[in-house]
Amino acid sequence: MAEQSVAGQAGMMATAADGDRSARARLVILLLSVALALSMFLSLASGASDASAVRVIRDWITGAAPADAALAVRDQLIVYDIRMPRVLLGVLIGAALAVSGAVMQGLFRNPLADPGLIGVSAGSSLGAVAIIVLGTTWLAPVTLALGTLALPLAAFFGGLSVTLLLYAIATRQGRTSVATMLLAGLAIAALAMALTGILIFMADDRQLRDLTFWQLGSLAGATWPKIGTVGSVIALALAMMPLLAHGLNALALGEATASHLGIPVQRLKYTAIVGVSAAVGAAVAVSGGIGFIGIVVPHLLRLAIGPDNRYLLPASALLGASLLLLADAVARTIVAPAELPIGIVTAVAGAPFFLWILLRKRGIVDL
Amino acid sequence: MIEARDISVAIGNKRIVSHVDFAARPGEVTAIVGPNGSGKTTLLKALTGELSYTGTVALNGRDLSAMKPVEAASLRAVLPQSTTLSFPFTVREIVRLGLIGGRSGVLPGEEARLPERALARVDLDGFAARFYQELSGGEQQRVQLARVLCQVWAPVLEGRPRCLFLDEPVSSLDVKHQLIIMNIARDFARRGGGVVAILHDLNLTAMYADRIFVLHGGQLAAAGSPAEVLNDELIEQVFDCRLKVGALPAANMPFVLPQSAA
Repeated sequence: MAEQSVAGQAGMMATAADGDRSARARLVILLLSVALALSMFLSLASGASDASAVRVIRDWITGAAPADAALAVRDQLIVYDIRMPRVLLGVLIGAALAVSGAVMQGLFRNPLADPGLIGVSAGSSLGAVAIIVLGTTWLAPVTLALGTLALPLAAFFGGLSVTLLLYAIATRQGRTSVATMLLAGLAIAALAMALTGILIFMADDRQLRDLTFWQLGSLAGATWPKIGTVGSVIALALAMMPLLAHGLNALALGEATASHLGIPVQRLKYTAIVGVSAAVGAAVAVSGGIGFIGIVVPHLLRLAIGPDNRYLLPASALLGASLLLLADAVARTIVAPAELPIGIVTAVAGAPFFLWILLRKRGIVDL
Repeated sequence: MIEARDISVAIGNKRIVSHVDFAARPGEVTAIVGPNGSGKTTLLKALTGELSYTGTVALNGRDLSAMKPVEAASLRAVLPQSTTLSFPFTVREIVRLGLIGGRSGVLPGEEARLPERALARVDLDGFAARFYQELSGGEQQRVQLARVLCQVWAPVLEGRPRCLFLDEPVSSLDVKHQLIIMNIARDFARRGGGVVAILHDLNLTAMYADRIFVLHGGQLAAAGSPAEVLNDELIEQVFDCRLKVGALPAANMPFVLPQSAA
């Protein structure tokens, strides 16, 4: 075993020396998978209650009769119906946000593109808030027709509109102006937030309380039915993303060159935009504004394994999921028994990191 | 292999290329020359489908505008004037992108080593692990050429000739590498492929081109072999320079240049 790992290391160094980082990337993906499994287990096992996930799982596997039946029923409830949906939702949303960030960055050919930063999340929020506030009045037919899908769908169309608008504004003759993109993103986000503000102004007290907690971002509302609707949208979007990897790699050379390499660029762009809008819309619909995962995760991974999207996308999904579970663990425990909105945790950790990227890149990346 | 009829390209309200007929044959290096702003790059971008045009472009007898990107990519590769990147790819990762279409023409087992072979061809042995952004302009240009070569490594695939489109392939290179790159182009043509290159150096053009298309103000000023096209009147008319086109005497004829006086 030791010999094998030495040989593995030697192999890794040999491949690194010829500029091929795929062996290292595969190793990192393997390690990230293990890390995600560990963080899932820790999230399942920890919380405000002393319920023991280990005991529940052991009882479930061995089929043994629990010593204290009443306690076992309570623990089972906590682990199955409270923690498990929350963990799964955290995994899905963390993966969705991180992969969306990586895809956006590939699409805009810039490491600073992020759904939260350029207004996609704001657009999704606007869609979602519209359903929450107007769902019983003006938009009643929509909520009636779509049921629980109304919220994620509205968030999706909100995000999609912003992304399409941004792309139309920032791209001229196949070249995307990053300065235009960031500034237009700011303007569109401000507009979306203003419209959201009007809706909040119209909301009644009960809706206001819902909105405030939802906007700060939280996984607390996780239930199995939510996993069903939102989870399937995110899972579908995530399953589609690996198909984009080759195209996004080629796109790094510019749209014309990507096309000369055989990539159907228009289709790639629309698939990416729809996929990102769906993933971000669904994530925002259920958990509100969780920022910075989409920019921090792909950036860290590019430092470790390089920008090849064939590895960057799956690695982003794994690391994004792990980091969000970690942030959620912090959010749940730091002010226990109360709970901090997770969006605050990711912003406190992510914003300084984002500044650090900017400072490092100052002068290298031409905005 | 490339037949273009009556090509016109307008960008905005300005017509850059007007009614140009163009043809390139397999086995030949076809050069496009002309002064700055004469429409060379625009014509090339029309021929590769990057810009919309009026007229017809046929690649191996088939209409280019009806081809999917992946079909066109299996028949021709394109080297742009310059390429900027926003992510830290290594040289090898860039060259490997040429293999995305999967039609390099080598056996699948050999494809893994093709980036190294292509880098060796452009005299960049040992550069595979370097970061693209850290290279000089001339080195970046050669990395891109290696990528383009990977895409159509075999000049003829399944009986069909393939084509290289090179936009100023030697513009940022030293003289040694100018010759290396032009020899690659000529070799590609000798083995049955086609090469269309925009060139600025008229001496290199005369050395390497089998046919020359001269553009002037967006129109075709002349087309033909170097001996037919490169003459004093044309150079003065097109390039607005009173220059003499010279020719060395036959190889067995001694001659003395007055400039050689010490």
